[in-house]
Amino acid sequence: MLKYIMKRLLMLIPVLLGVSLIVFLIMHLFTGDPAALILGQHATQAQVAALRENLGLNDPIYLQFGKFIWQLLHGDLGRSLMSRRPVLDDLCACFPATIELAFFSLLIATVVGVTVGVISAVKRYSFFDYLSMIGALLGVSMPIFWLGLILIIVFAVNLQWLPVAGRIEIGLEPARITGLYLLDSLLTGNWEAMLSTLRHLLLPGFALAAYSMAIIARMTRSTMLEVIKQDYIRTAHAKGLTESRVINHHALKNALIPVVTVIGLQLGFLLGGAVLTETVFSWPGLGSLTVNAILASDYPVVQGSVLLVAVVFVVVNLVVDLLYAYLDPRIHYQ
Amino acid sequence: MRKYGLLSLTLLLIIALLGTTVFAAAKILVYAKGADPRGLDPAYVDDGESGKIIVNIYDTLVKYKAGSTEIEPGLATSWKQTPDGLSWTFKLRKGVKFHDGTPFNAQAVKFSIDRQLPPLRTDDMPYASFTFEPVKEVKVIDSDTVQINLSKPYAPFLANLAMSLAAPIVSPTAVKKYGADFMQHPVGTGAFKFQRWDKDQQIVLVKNPNYWGVKAKVEKVVFKTTKENAVRASELLTGAVDIIDGVDPNDVKKLQSSGMKLIKNPGMNINYMGFMCQRKPFNDPKVRRAISMAINRAELVKYLYQGYAKVANGPLPNFIPGYAPELQPVGYNPTEAKKLLAEAGCQNFNFTLITYSNARPYNPVTGVKLAEAVQAELLKIGVKTNIKVYPWKEYKDVLMKGQEGEAFFYGWIGDNGDADNFLSLLDTNQISSSLNSAKYSNPKVDELLKQGTLTQDPKARVKIYQAVQKILLEDAPWVFISHGVDLAAYRPNVKGFALHPTGAAWLNLVTK
Repeated sequence: MLKYIMKRLLMLIPVLLGVSLIVFLIMHLFTGDPAALILGQHATQAQVAALRENLGLNDPIYLQFGKFIWQLLHGDLGRSLMSRRPVLDDLCACFPATIELAFFSLLIATVVGVTVGVISAVKRYSFFDYLSMIGALLGVSMPIFWLGLILIIVFAVNLQWLPVAGRIEIGLEPARITGLYLLDSLLTGNWEAMLSTLRHLLLPGFALAAYSMAIIARMTRSTMLEVIKQDYIRTAHAKGLTESRVINHHALKNALIPVVTVIGLQLGFLLGGAVLTETVFSWPGLGSLTVNAILASDYPVVQGSVLLVAVVFVVVNLVVDLLYAYLDPRIHYQ
Repeated sequence: MRKYGLLSLTLLLIIALLGTTVFAAAKILVYAKGADPRGLDPAYVDDGESGKIIVNIYDTLVKYKAGSTEIEPGLATSWKQTPDGLSWTFKLRKGVKFHDGTPFNAQAVKFSIDRQLPPLRTDDMPYASFTFEPVKEVKVIDSDTVQINLSKPYAPFLANLAMSLAAPIVSPTAVKKYGADFMQHPVGTGAFKFQRWDKDQQIVLVKNPNYWGVKAKVEKVVFKTTKENAVRASELLTGAVDIIDGVDPNDVKKLQSSGMKLIKNPGMNINYMGFMCQRKPFNDPKVRRAISMAINRAELVKYLYQGYAKVANGPLPNFIPGYAPELQPVGYNPTEAKKLLAEAGCQNFNFTLITYSNARPYNPVTGVKLAEAVQAELLKIGVKTNIKVYPWKEYKDVLMKGQEGEAFFYGWIGDNGDADNFLSLLDTNQISSSLNSAKYSNPKVDELLKQGTLTQDPKARVKIYQAVQKILLEDAPWVFISHGVDLAAYRPNVKGFALHPTGAAWLNLVTK
């Protein structure tokens, strides 16, 4: 098993190389010139040309790419062209926020989605089933921007139950250990900060979870329906096991394999940064960082962000594959 | 029983989450704005978001008076020019220290400017050449006196020294210590000290108890980044923040009816449609005047901006010295317009309008909507136009090349509050720098503008710029559409908050 994990991790290298090459080409060939944006409204053509030369943007593409890879191998992701901040600092600042929101959303989505899916499958064609599938349709169709704003208006402005935006109440930020506010406040025993973080996570977490919840519910329902038809379920019933034991112990585990794939994909997508949610709730995450960098043609930041997301995807896929082995003893890796 | 345990725990958690309110101990003023600043080193930024924070951390040698762009003492208590305008001597305020304890003196001023002059100046300093281009050298006369020698006389230079970009004085010790990271670790002499910056989240400043000017009335200021306009307005309504700027006109009614106070300031900008003055048909001023007469600017502004813009009477906003209300551009007169067009031999002609796709501070409804509105106006007198739209980055390139379109939409955000800053956009010398996108060239205007930079007496300069405007309003190289308005709002318990025409707000004067 360990050998398998090592093999998979080694595959990261060609993946990252390929991803950075593609991003590099896209940024350099299809987006605008960062030099003009860096210099603003007073830029003369001479100044823009001088800056381009200085940034090495006139060098042939393969040379620029080679320089980038060389720096990367030395652990240097470069500095943002606009803010002059080291890209690694930007990523370390933004990624924990994305991790927290992504995991929180996925937790809600998984718990609610799987539960609803299982119940819908077991009580097929019941009122609950129809209601939940309509709910799932809504969840998949609702524009997240609209949903976010509606949640803010209802719960934050009108009912004033929850805060409007941001990660935490101003002034309550916990001491920075990992950048994950929930973890940091736990480690420092700062309950005020933990409570405030949870309150701030609820609305964006739910808005983001709506889509995943719907997909997971539908997936669970359809796979459960498949599994329930199987002979071994009939055998389990015949043996006299309770309905609850049959569903939760025998059926669910098998139904979950495709669902785990979906969950993994959702996690990968969420960790890439949900830009729209981040914009509505002013969540300082990876999505906004990447989009703003793309719009500003800030190559180093875009490259760093995309590399990070690629690593995340590879790792998440590995974890999902390992989970299969746990769920299905027939699956064996060497 | 186990089920109920879990249920009651969940219920308890929900109650705890919904019911908590936390009171901030010290007096914290929260100002929510739409974007994170680019950085906090005055030499490396060009955006208003950075400027707003920079004015609270740093000081400049001279500053703007409240409500106008006239100049008053800042870190310099007095100054004089030699009669030939080539040398400025500033007497500096005594006893001032930077936040890190470094003494403020002539050496610090020299350091702050020298780093933006060749050979220390780097290629990515957006405002260095604009601000310090005429500077030959900075001399330390004694620790309280600094002399700036120019290579040519340049009257607007004093206004440059009041800007929030490039001009603020930085701590030499801190710059040497942090190097490129000074962008995230600013040290100035201002009313607030920098404490922390959580990217895309907030910037926290604390009161500088040793400030030489009016000491801050609050302990901390937090600049919170909230991207969406509607969400920012919601935060103001719930009291999560105390002040917001970039108020969306759609939110104004709701804010006012909830008791929030609104500030509406004319912005330091101009929104215009320029004619390509070196090509047919708009190389003929008659045709330019005709088209200008065909556009009902007042109606346009009312319809597009619903009161959140001021109709422009020329290139200058009304608070810039040099503006004169009695000078007006050609009025709306569609019949006269048709006549003029016929006289010039351009009956029922058509041309191409080029525009930008996005919104701009001086044009929040996007370049496309503005172009379509003008297109509709021109159709009324039988002039057909077709619109070509470009994304902003590409648009600037297109304008630089000047080959596309016969008329274009553009704007300008003022830098230093001096009339020359706006009017030089129509100087022949600015054609090659691409700031004069209309490629308008009038030697009379060029001569007057040159005189304006050489004249020292402010009153004489005002007369010169009025003469320039008279010519421009006659010649109509642009259709002067509007000035964007700066909108800010604050909670009723906030006192002393004022938005300066340059968009900055000095928060040491604010209390809550």
